Amino acid sequence: MLEDTLRVQTIYIVATASESTLRQRSTFPKHTPPTDSNASATEDAPKKVIKSVFTSAEKTNSLIALAGLTALAIISRFYKINEPDEVVFDEVHFGKFASYYLRGSYFFDVHPPLAKMMLAAMGYFIGYDGHFLFDNIGDKYNDNNVPYIGLRALPAFLGAMTVPLVYMTMREAGFPILTCALAAFFVIFDNMLVTQTRLILLDSMLVFFMMCSIYSYVRFYKTRNNPFTLKWWSWMIATGVSIALTTSVKMVGLFTVATIGVAVIWDLWELLDIRRRLTMQQFMNHFYARAIGLILIPVVVYLFWFYVHFAILTNSGPGDDFMSTEFQETLKGNTMADGIFVKYGDNITIRHKDTSVYLHSHEHNYPLRYDDGRISSAGQQVTGYSHEDPNNLWQIYSDNVENTKIGKQVKDKDVIRLLHVATSSWLLAHDVASPTMTTNEEITTYSINEDGSRFNETTFQIILESGGDKLRTMASNFKLLHQSTKVAIWTHAHKLPDWGFEQQEINGNKNLVQKSNLWLSDNIEGKNASEIDQESSKAVKTRSFILKFLELQGKMISHNAGLTDSHPYQSSPIEWPFLVKGISFWTENETRKQIYLVGNPLGMWIAVASLAVIIGVSGADLLSRRRGFYPLNQDVQKRFYYATGFFFIGWIFHYIPFFLMGRALFLHHYMPALVFSYMVLAAVHGFIFIEGVDGPISDAGPETRPRQLQRAVVPVIAYASGIILMAIHLGSFLFFAPLSYGTSAPSVAGLARRKFLPQWDYHFAK
Amino acid sequence: MYTSENIKRRNPVGSSAGRDQGPQQQQDDHYNNSQNQNRASVDPYGPNPLKPAFQHQQHQQHQHAGTAYGYRDYYGFGYAPSRREYSANKYIRFYQENDYILIPTLLTLVSFWTRFRDIKSSDYVVWDEAHFGKFGSYYIKGDFYFDVHPPLGKMLVGLSGALAGYDGSFAFDSGAKYPDINYGFMRIFNAFFGAIMVPLAYWTAQELRMSQAACIFAAVLVLFDNAYLTISRFILLDSMLLSATCFVFFCLTRFRNERHDPFSLDWWLWLAMTGVAIGLVSSIKWVGLFVTALVGLNTIEELWDLFGDLSLPKTTYIKHWVARAACLIALPFSVYVASFALHFAILQNSGPGDAQMSSLFQAGLNFNDFRNNPLYVAYGSKVSIKNTGYGGGLLHSHVQTFPEGSGQQQVTCYHHKDNNNNWFIKHAKSEGVPEDTGSPQILRHGNLIRLGHEQTNRSLHSHRVKAPVTSAQYEVSGYGDDSTVDANDEWVIEIVEENSHHPKDGQLRSLSTTFRLRHRILGCLLTAENINLPQWGFRQIEVTCDTRNRTNSPHSLWNIEQHWNDKLPAGEGTLYKSKFWKDFWHLNVAMMTSNNALIPDPDKEDVLASNPSQWPLLAVGLRMCGWGDDAVKFYLLGNPIAWWGGTLSLGVFAFTVCYYIVRRQRKFQDVTPMEWDQFLAAGKLLVGGWFLHYIPFCIMGRVTYLHHYFPALYFSLLLFSFVIDHFVNRPGVSSKVRNVVWAVAFAAVTFTFFFFWDVSYGIRGPAAETMKSRQWRGAWNIIDDHKPNTFI
Repeated sequence: MLEDTLRVQTIYIVATASESTLRQRSTFPKHTPPTDSNASATEDAPKKVIKSVFTSAEKTNSLIALAGLTALAIISRFYKINEPDEVVFDEVHFGKFASYYLRGSYFFDVHPPLAKMMLAAMGYFIGYDGHFLFDNIGDKYNDNNVPYIGLRALPAFLGAMTVPLVYMTMREAGFPILTCALAAFFVIFDNMLVTQTRLILLDSMLVFFMMCSIYSYVRFYKTRNNPFTLKWWSWMIATGVSIALTTSVKMVGLFTVATIGVAVIWDLWELLDIRRRLTMQQFMNHFYARAIGLILIPVVVYLFWFYVHFAILTNSGPGDDFMSTEFQETLKGNTMADGIFVKYGDNITIRHKDTSVYLHSHEHNYPLRYDDGRISSAGQQVTGYSHEDPNNLWQIYSDNVENTKIGKQVKDKDVIRLLHVATSSWLLAHDVASPTMTTNEEITTYSINEDGSRFNETTFQIILESGGDKLRTMASNFKLLHQSTKVAIWTHAHKLPDWGFEQQEINGNKNLVQKSNLWLSDNIEGKNASEIDQESSKAVKTRSFILKFLELQGKMISHNAGLTDSHPYQSSPIEWPFLVKGISFWTENETRKQIYLVGNPLGMWIAVASLAVIIGVSGADLLSRRRGFYPLNQDVQKRFYYATGFFFIGWIFHYIPFFLMGRALFLHHYMPALVFSYMVLAAVHGFIFIEGVDGPISDAGPETRPRQLQRAVVPVIAYASGIILMAIHLGSFLFFAPLSYGTSAPSVAGLARRKFLPQWDYHFAK
Repeated sequence: MYTSENIKRRNPVGSSAGRDQGPQQQQDDHYNNSQNQNRASVDPYGPNPLKPAFQHQQHQQHQHAGTAYGYRDYYGFGYAPSRREYSANKYIRFYQENDYILIPTLLTLVSFWTRFRDIKSSDYVVWDEAHFGKFGSYYIKGDFYFDVHPPLGKMLVGLSGALAGYDGSFAFDSGAKYPDINYGFMRIFNAFFGAIMVPLAYWTAQELRMSQAACIFAAVLVLFDNAYLTISRFILLDSMLLSATCFVFFCLTRFRNERHDPFSLDWWLWLAMTGVAIGLVSSIKWVGLFVTALVGLNTIEELWDLFGDLSLPKTTYIKHWVARAACLIALPFSVYVASFALHFAILQNSGPGDAQMSSLFQAGLNFNDFRNNPLYVAYGSKVSIKNTGYGGGLLHSHVQTFPEGSGQQQVTCYHHKDNNNNWFIKHAKSEGVPEDTGSPQILRHGNLIRLGHEQTNRSLHSHRVKAPVTSAQYEVSGYGDDSTVDANDEWVIEIVEENSHHPKDGQLRSLSTTFRLRHRILGCLLTAENINLPQWGFRQIEVTCDTRNRTNSPHSLWNIEQHWNDKLPAGEGTLYKSKFWKDFWHLNVAMMTSNNALIPDPDKEDVLASNPSQWPLLAVGLRMCGWGDDAVKFYLLGNPIAWWGGTLSLGVFAFTVCYYIVRRQRKFQDVTPMEWDQFLAAGKLLVGGWFLHYIPFCIMGRVTYLHHYFPALYFSLLLFSFVIDHFVNRPGVSSKVRNVVWAVAFAAVTFTFFFFWDVSYGIRGPAAETMKSRQWRGAWNIIDDHKPNTFI
């Protein structure tokens, strides 16, 4: 039995095998596992130069496995892709963005543009014109004449193509066919990957490009003994381009960059080792080459997609408001270009930038006594009102009574007074607590007819934060700083009680630096309306690409971090590997169908166990080596750390950083990590059941020492256990398939059976 | 030691003087050197000339003994050279022979002077004296109070008050003028702890094998840091926390230097001292856990080193584990528990903190009125209801409504006693029993009740609406009133346990009976799991109706705490003693819960709070009191040179380590292996200490203040001195350069300290006039009151 399992072939290459060239090439004598009698029969030239450790029969088998798995992947992703013909979950966003690209109207999203542009391109090729805006989950596609199947085909295809990439990556990393197939099989039949990659979402592209990066890097690493060859360069640049594409889909791609970055740094560190006998010059060549291939090229590719993004989106659109005035002025049809200079004496409306309410006042007073017993000034209410109304008009006056400056333009840092036109009273702030916030000042007005004793409380300094040094409508964001008490006029989305007609509270904010202090002048009405046409300039301005890019990138990052609003289906990263919580994607009340995102529970739980095995084995190995025992065969250990460990690092890097994020997170953020965890699972299965490893797998270089050729032995138990795992996984997949595809509605009892964990809050479960 | 002549510095690859031969050669060199009488070759600034001579004997003795750590860390942070040159002048010689006593003594005296002088300059309650002075008063009076910090530091404040003859009657209102109490003594008591940081810094630097100049510089950095000075001079916990942290670190380095001789008396002594010290520091503030983590990591590293020593007998290895477990886990834990035992022993009277504790504990306090509670609870009784979970509060409601969900009146758990905790037990409407039917009907297991809130008349209500935070469970709200008939207001009493000598007869007794409240319609259990509501709920505890039916969770168990019913006889006052461990755990959970509630309010910008990113480069100061022109004003601000230098040294150290590592990969030997190990071992502890005391503040959501950086600062200050020391003691640096560098460093730190003198000792007169030149950074609000908005 022992001999049976340790049939590792060891054939030494004679160092001088090709003495005539004085080079030690990759001249592995043809080797055949004893089990393969056909192959051994054909072995007639032992010194024949072979390129691969694998026999041609094995290669054929591998190709067959690859083709079969790819076919399964395509079927799994395209099965009933026309259902449901309704907008599902985040198709609301990404379908909409594709439409905006097709219309060319500017929008804002926290993700980089590539995947959305791919969707738009797909739409363009199938003749979709972007007329539909995907406004609500459940909107009918067929009724709106949207070629959604074509749009879904792109993510579904790339989702399917991830499977052969997983297979080939494992294969290139030197794992036997069984192991590779196991990994691919788990990726095919994971419910989360299926659901998420057959809809109009970005994650399919993300995972696809991520696997391209990993595959390319593995190929690149295998050519390391022949540096600076064409093959070496090609795979390195392929890696660089792939990581750039991944990052151009979602910023999560930076985790892929980090994974590969760590591997590259480690590789460079090894090259730096004096025993590698590289001169400093040679080392720096390695360094520069990687800097070009893995930093410079990716940056250019990443920027390129933004360039295309700006080139397509030339019209004003829903994303205008996110951007600076200068940026908006580059868009066709933007309102900024209409901005006209405000002059003293003009009647203007003043709108709060964040909450879009108008500064408003009306002939009602604050109640003298609030519910909590505090007392107010009982002055006229100043509120935030969200609709157009004559009570929103304020006339702008200089603080200088003698020199009224009427007709002169209002400039930055000018001190002004605001007269409420409808009630003829001055805007005023004073040291009285505001209705709902005791820390802030009440804002009120006082009549123009009263004496001037409160003059000092009515002066405000106008501080422009953008749009030049003169006040313009739309273009200028400004703060109104109360002169005598140093508070800024401010409002927040907090409704006043009945006495305030549920309008928004406005008060004086002591914190002057808050972004929410900003207001803009919306419109000029009355007096100078006739001048508007003369003053306005409609020209679209230009702005350099780099400035536009930097602004957009900054906004993306800050908005992404700002997505902290809680969502009923959000989850915390610690829950993901254990699949504690799912996401309801779509429901249909009449048929009681639903799409509910959960991973393949059994598969994911097995994967988590395999991650634990990795930690356990490496820990045990570390401890025993510290005590002078070397429990693992050197090659097995190397494969364990270099290949399995690399995938494990991939899992770590695509998972752990989420713990540091403050934003709302969802189960589907685990998808990239999930793919790695399945690869680890297959590798761990191999580690347990398969004896030895196939090797060497890397290309030999001119200085490579002759290496021992070895073959892995895959015993029956490995096949048996592999098949059992696949069966469990497939069974679990099929069990949950109705929820993943949304094609049939399980009964209430059926849903209850599928509720493995109480937190899976299905619809129609009662 | 080597000199630049006998070691080839940049020995190229393959040279016979390679690294692999280094260690043995180094040891031999040292050994020979110490026999060698050629004194000229000894660098007078070499590492640690300060080690008392008797210890060198020991080092040599163990030099060739079997080593647990290999040559590497055999000496902890390296070893001391053995000889010095003495002057012929007898005074100088006397100084030289005794400098290891004279220098720290002098530093300590200066430290006392800076910390104690003019300490009564402000006769009003400054900053958090309002808290800690008050807590000290409670110990003097014996009133039970609650605070988020462990008790040791506050007990010391109480002790200082007791020693000062203070009777605990002063309320310590913020900004109030001190009455006739000796607050100066109380402040000096605190300042003493701040003062001993200076000699501790000196000795720690010595243990880290810094040169004499560097040891003095480290001590001077601590001595002349304005922030350490200012914070030490008031009745606060920070000076105790800081000195205890310094003491832990000192013990740790001291213990590490004993590693050549495990299980010796000194080894045991310093191991135990480290344990006691981490117990003390953790009993002052939980921030002490960070330095405990440093000790923990160091211990793991040591055990890992020992694990790799194949010559070490297994029993010895196990002994190492046991020794550390006993001294670094059991011992500190005992100290921590002892501080709580003392806390409970001193605070015997009912006080403001009662409501945080279990009802039984409260009943055991003097002057508590629970013993007047009528024993049996009946329909019509007015009660307050206590959650029995650790850290549980009282069932509470107030007029504010839920901003989401049903929008009905909030129901929470609250830790303070007020009238909003009072509920009337009423008959369920569906039973149709008229209220007030004469003789009170005692509540029994299975009775159906409705709970009416005394202040708002709303009924305790639950329905199929998601709870605000724990969205998997149902919301509990206040809804309707006596005239409303709603089946969702009805709860079933399930009696669980009887904690008294009374028989378990299914009757509800106040204090001693625990029960569940099960919603009649939904079947869920009234539960409060120590989860804080957001700001709209005033960060009180969320109350939910839990559908999971976890009948054994203490968070779904309740007991009647206060009970009023005129129709029932007052209780006879038999009290049951609560158990110490339960109280201990209860208090700790309550502290944790309150601590978690201290998160910044997004609606309210706190001018005092600052962001951790503002600390290392001192982008922010802190006004400790009112800023009126006639007040003596204290501004918490570090010595900028020290702070910036400390932060810079972190970067320099990281860069230097990277540089050396990369160079070593190419087999360039910039430093000898011995130097390298020493450099790394000391640097690791210092940088690790800084990180462990800084990074957690960046991660935790709690509101943070400038003084949270002070423990981390200590490590960066030591590192500052350490890094300068490393660079001026390189071969090729002449003694002239060395002296100039040290002179400049000392002068800069000293000058800045005196320049910012008023900031620490009190700004008198309008700040705008006197402080203009001190405004080194625009973000400091030393003159203008503005919220700093720069993060760097």
